[in-house]
Amino acid sequence: MNDFVLIGKNLFRKKLRATLMLVSILIAFLIFGVLAGFERAFNAGEEVAAADRLVVVNKINFTQPLPVAYFNRVRGIEGVRQTTHFNWFGGYYQDPKNFLIVMAVEPETYMQVYDDQINVPADAQQAFIRERTGALVGENMLKKWGWKVGDRVPIMSNIFTQKNGSRTWDFTIVGTFTGRKPNVDTNFMVFQYQYFNETQNLGRDLIGWMALNTTAPSQNDRVAKAIDQMFANSFYETSTDTEKAFNKGFAAQLGNIALIVALVVGAAFATILMIVGNTMVMAVRERTREIGVLKTLGFSGGRILRLVLGESVLLALLGGLPGIALAWAFAAAMETSVGNFIPGFAVTPSIALTGVALMLGLGLATGLVPAINAMRLDIATALGRS
Amino acid sequence: MRSFLLQVAAVTTINVKSIPQRFWLSLSTVVAIALVVMVLLSFLAMANGFQRTLMSAGAEDVAIVLRGGSQAEINSTVSRDQVRLVEEGPGIARNSEGKPLVSAELYLIVDGLKRTSQTKANLPLRGIGVEGAAVRKGIRITEGRMFNPGANEIVVGKALLREFHGFEIGSTVSFSTSRWTVVGVFEADGSVFESEIWADLPVVQSLFNRNNVVQTVRTRLQSPAALDTLKRYVDEDPRLKLDVKSEAAYFADQASQTSDLIQKLGWPLAIAMALGALAGALNTMYSSVAARAVEIATLRAIGFGGFPAFVGTLVESLILAALGGVIGATATYLVFDGFSTSTLGASFTQVVFSFKLSSALLVQGVILALAVGLIGGLFPAIRAARMPIVAGLNS
Repeated sequence: MNDFVLIGKNLFRKKLRATLMLVSILIAFLIFGVLAGFERAFNAGEEVAAADRLVVVNKINFTQPLPVAYFNRVRGIEGVRQTTHFNWFGGYYQDPKNFLIVMAVEPETYMQVYDDQINVPADAQQAFIRERTGALVGENMLKKWGWKVGDRVPIMSNIFTQKNGSRTWDFTIVGTFTGRKPNVDTNFMVFQYQYFNETQNLGRDLIGWMALNTTAPSQNDRVAKAIDQMFANSFYETSTDTEKAFNKGFAAQLGNIALIVALVVGAAFATILMIVGNTMVMAVRERTREIGVLKTLGFSGGRILRLVLGESVLLALLGGLPGIALAWAFAAAMETSVGNFIPGFAVTPSIALTGVALMLGLGLATGLVPAINAMRLDIATALGRS
Repeated sequence: MRSFLLQVAAVTTINVKSIPQRFWLSLSTVVAIALVVMVLLSFLAMANGFQRTLMSAGAEDVAIVLRGGSQAEINSTVSRDQVRLVEEGPGIARNSEGKPLVSAELYLIVDGLKRTSQTKANLPLRGIGVEGAAVRKGIRITEGRMFNPGANEIVVGKALLREFHGFEIGSTVSFSTSRWTVVGVFEADGSVFESEIWADLPVVQSLFNRNNVVQTVRTRLQSPAALDTLKRYVDEDPRLKLDVKSEAAYFADQASQTSDLIQKLGWPLAIAMALGALAGALNTMYSSVAARAVEIATLRAIGFGGFPAFVGTLVESLILAALGGVIGATATYLVFDGFSTSTLGASFTQVVFSFKLSSALLVQGVILALAVGLIGGLFPAIRAARMPIVAGLNS
């Protein structure tokens, strides 16, 4: 009988007690996995941001417009590789509840600037540039609504109306695209700015914001300053930031999600630390006599220490690993239903690894006190105690 | 019957008095349940606080007029001619000079710096008409004065001042090239309006290049019932492709989106944690039964029934749970009640709100705690009642 068998036997000598502890550990790690996945999805915008990309918005706020003439002026600045521009469309499909991310873009430059994030097949690229009423629809959005390339879809706007009073724009889906990285969400669509500008009724020749790539990340600061200086004291002043900082700031608008996640996970772990810690102390105390016998047989104090710590670590792993697996399955099952709300919700390998580290920590923390007690126990007291 | 009750009372007392023998294990159950209740109640208090902030802004006798299908103020546009037609509509209350209480408004988003995160956040700048404050109820200038018509002056809500930098009275705020002076702070019964910046409509229109454009029209109605009259008038006029809603309905709709979401996150989390705490409670109570096996068997041997043993164990569990529930509720109240924060609302701007517990929420927290105690005590109690006397005495 090696030590591992002994550890297993000790752990499951009271099956009900072991099972209950496993359940409470499993739930704590399920909560950890799900919330860590949620937080990661929430910060995905910051993660996918390209190091060499800047975002130019109106200095008052990013919902205020800029003149389209700025586009060419920014392109001329030294250190700018390529620039594109966007208009938020406020799109929905059939019912206002079916909110869609729809943007009007300058087709050719859009596909160049975001080439690091989305993969548009060559034929779709050409069709998108050619077709005035064409739209590129992301793979996830296509799947979600059951659309196919070639379909004509009526998209409504809750902001704009056409000159004829209609709120509906008909787009032909000329192609689709996929994300180049797993955390790039493709639940959105883009269509031609030209078509948008000519048909909508609110203000001509205005754009929402611009995105550009610099020639190198080291140029970011200089380019950003040059842009903001160029438009200083004009009616439309700009504020230029890295894409990463912009996305981070936007996420922060919703609230301190990281703090909420930390508090809830902290509460879950405090619970199991107490429950498992106390139970381990009790379980080892019940075995005082046996430990005395083991010591009489020649087990060293160090070996006893390892046996008890091994037991508590094994318990943490047996409860924690299925907990993380369950969190993974939960995230995978939820991907389609919450994808619109929190894209990129998943339990990643790095979350799982953090989980394993926490399991080891939990195991050592809950086993330490009883293990040291057991190690120090002297034989006479152990056998004398009933 | 009397002896039966005495038996129950005796065994229950023994149970409760034996709790200190399992002090640490019992304490861990109490703390686990308290933490579950805290998680649940802080989410519910967050949802409740947000909802109250929006709902208290919504009056039944104020109508809000938006472009048809626009849903939120930020998406709406109303033309000058349409404003005039609405002003002539029926059911609108009038001021002492006989003028209709109508305010045409522009709703723009500007940047502000959030104190806690030091990041930019969307704040609403509302250009209001002369009757803007009179249309709404409970607006009071608490510091300084109202802006003067035609001046680059703003007044800010109390909540906005609390959460965002740079809006202290007397300070200058620049929105791009236009510069504004903060001349007053207002209160609005703790409603969402306290998260806003207000200025004179014509000044906002000209400095933001939105001449002759407004987004919404607010009117004070003669009575809540007058809403239908005004609605019918607007529906019948083909020039008015507008939606008329009571402000109460408008804000209720906006409130439900966010607060439903918070509740949908809070309950499953609390239930998952409750299952973890339940495992702890079961563990504690089974230990309690095991520790008193000899005692229970002895009582049975001298003629006590199984039922008192059942009740004793269940009551012990419920006491621990109730203790946890009360501690959790009290701690939530002390730590989170009144905690001020802000999030992005349905109008795409920051809504400042405070966590708000209510007695109904506290009851929900305690019920969850007792449910854990009930289930956590039930199975060990059944084991205590069914324990064979001989086996118990031998252990």
